[in-house]
Amino acid sequence: MNLEDEHSAPKADNTSSTESVSPPKAASFFEERPPQVMEVAPQLLRYWTRRDLLLFGMGAIAAVAGGGSLLPQTTLERLGIIHGNKNWTKKEWLLNRALHIDDDVAEALYSRNRLVPTYTKSQITSLKNNYNGATPDPSYIPEWRLKLDGLASGLSVSLNIRNLLASFRVHEQITRLVCVEGWSAIAWWSGLRFDDLLHAYPPVSQAKWARIESSVNLGSWGNPDPYFVSLDLATARHPQTLLATHLNGKPLTVEHGAPVRLLVPVKLGLKNIKAITRITYTKDEPADYWAKRGYSRYDGI
Amino acid sequence: MPHSTQLDSGRIATCTPESEAGVLVVRRHHLLVRCTHWLSVPILLGLILSGLSIYWASPVYKHKPDPLTGNFDPLADVGIWICAHVPGLHQYNSPPDWVYNHLSLGPGMLAVALRLHWLCAYLFMLNGLVFVIGLAMGGGWRSLLPRRTDLREALKMFCYYAGLPLAKLTRRTWLHPRFNTKYNALQRLAYFSVPVAGILSVFTGWAIHKPMQLYWLTAIFGGYDKARIWHFWLMWFFILFVVPHVILVLADGWDTLRSMIVGWSTRAERSEDFWQ
Repeated sequence: MNLEDEHSAPKADNTSSTESVSPPKAASFFEERPPQVMEVAPQLLRYWTRRDLLLFGMGAIAAVAGGGSLLPQTTLERLGIIHGNKNWTKKEWLLNRALHIDDDVAEALYSRNRLVPTYTKSQITSLKNNYNGATPDPSYIPEWRLKLDGLASGLSVSLNIRNLLASFRVHEQITRLVCVEGWSAIAWWSGLRFDDLLHAYPPVSQAKWARIESSVNLGSWGNPDPYFVSLDLATARHPQTLLATHLNGKPLTVEHGAPVRLLVPVKLGLKNIKAITRITYTKDEPADYWAKRGYSRYDGI
Repeated sequence: MPHSTQLDSGRIATCTPESEAGVLVVRRHHLLVRCTHWLSVPILLGLILSGLSIYWASPVYKHKPDPLTGNFDPLADVGIWICAHVPGLHQYNSPPDWVYNHLSLGPGMLAVALRLHWLCAYLFMLNGLVFVIGLAMGGGWRSLLPRRTDLREALKMFCYYAGLPLAKLTRRTWLHPRFNTKYNALQRLAYFSVPVAGILSVFTGWAIHKPMQLYWLTAIFGGYDKARIWHFWLMWFFILFVVPHVILVLADGWDTLRSMIVGWSTRAERSEDFWQ
């Protein structure tokens, strides 16, 4: 199909264009040019119209069908277009492809040397407890241990909060936490750098990922629902990625993940797992709680 | 020019007998401009539908929670109002969700909405790029550039459109303001601001999508929360543009609508005034 050539044909052929009036003055680069008028046989015009309308009509039908089928099942059912499960497998593939491209872009944008903006104490905002389910019972805190697996030593390490606070330097930062839902909060965090923990307890040499989990997390009805996130070690080594122990100068409350939570401001809030109980370093990408539920796996912001 | 050109002009010559007069046509829109123009319809629709579902998860605009329902979202209020006042909707089972059920993918669809939004957003950027290439190749961008007299002329056009329905009703003559460019000043203002709004939508989108890595971009729009407000109102700009755009194109007639499909218009007479 080469519409443009056809349309511009008479322009090239001076005999069929109307008397071309030469402009009174030389047009500047930005000035609107005179329209290209051409004389065309009515028959040919009808043929062009028919052909282009047909092509356009087919394109429109394809767009409506293709675009419409990308809409979620529940939306189509609500609109009364489909009934029952008619999920198109290619649709999931295409939407996941877009998600992966977006994750790759996020990973390309990430730099370990780029610090996120920090704020002053007067800019601190309130931070809501966005525990997906119920807030856990604080009875786990006295017995709390952080277990490390997948270490270069081949051993399993278990640390309590005193070990952590005594053997690592505490860093402070006032940064913004951005939720996938769209809200954000500025808070003053302190804790140890994840990078320092990685230096003190180096992971196996091939490890590229950390699986971070909280066994105390609860589901919507208060039932145990362990929470787990995947975190690439490149992000874990970012200087502003903390294992936070304090919020706004006070030890973390149960609502905010006592005694230790992950604070990774270069990721969406859902990666900032509360009440961490175990970190496992792996070579392959571990599972992620929200990625399993259709969200991005990388979540870099 | 490829050889097919020669062939086509030959065909025009052969099928134009002396008796049948040719029709004067004027080139309006480049092929790439036409394709991207129509592609932007499903893409924008997808962006708005998924965008409002994303908005639902944490509305930008909130009021004090209603003591009875705990509702704080003005869009939910609109739904409640509609269900209370529109006949036949009194039985609607979730009035606060009415707006989201009808103008978005639906509430509680954040994960799906985000994936669709990214897909449409990348297509939107690609489509916008091809549109700009089409404008450059066809030279159409020159017709979109604002002129010094545009504000006054646009006001004249606006008064013309505003007074037209009454003039038609009272059968008074209502003269269309004269212009000798491809678009009148009001059109030019609207068509110029659409690509600008498109670019701003893309930038505000990135500003709220990557507020840490692109923090400088977020700062340009006044920070994360303000960038969300920009992004939200840019959506309304597109909606507010499309409504009169469609009405005026339909009112203007088949030739105008057809020109965005086939690329040419038979309204060559307008162009005869061009250099006067």
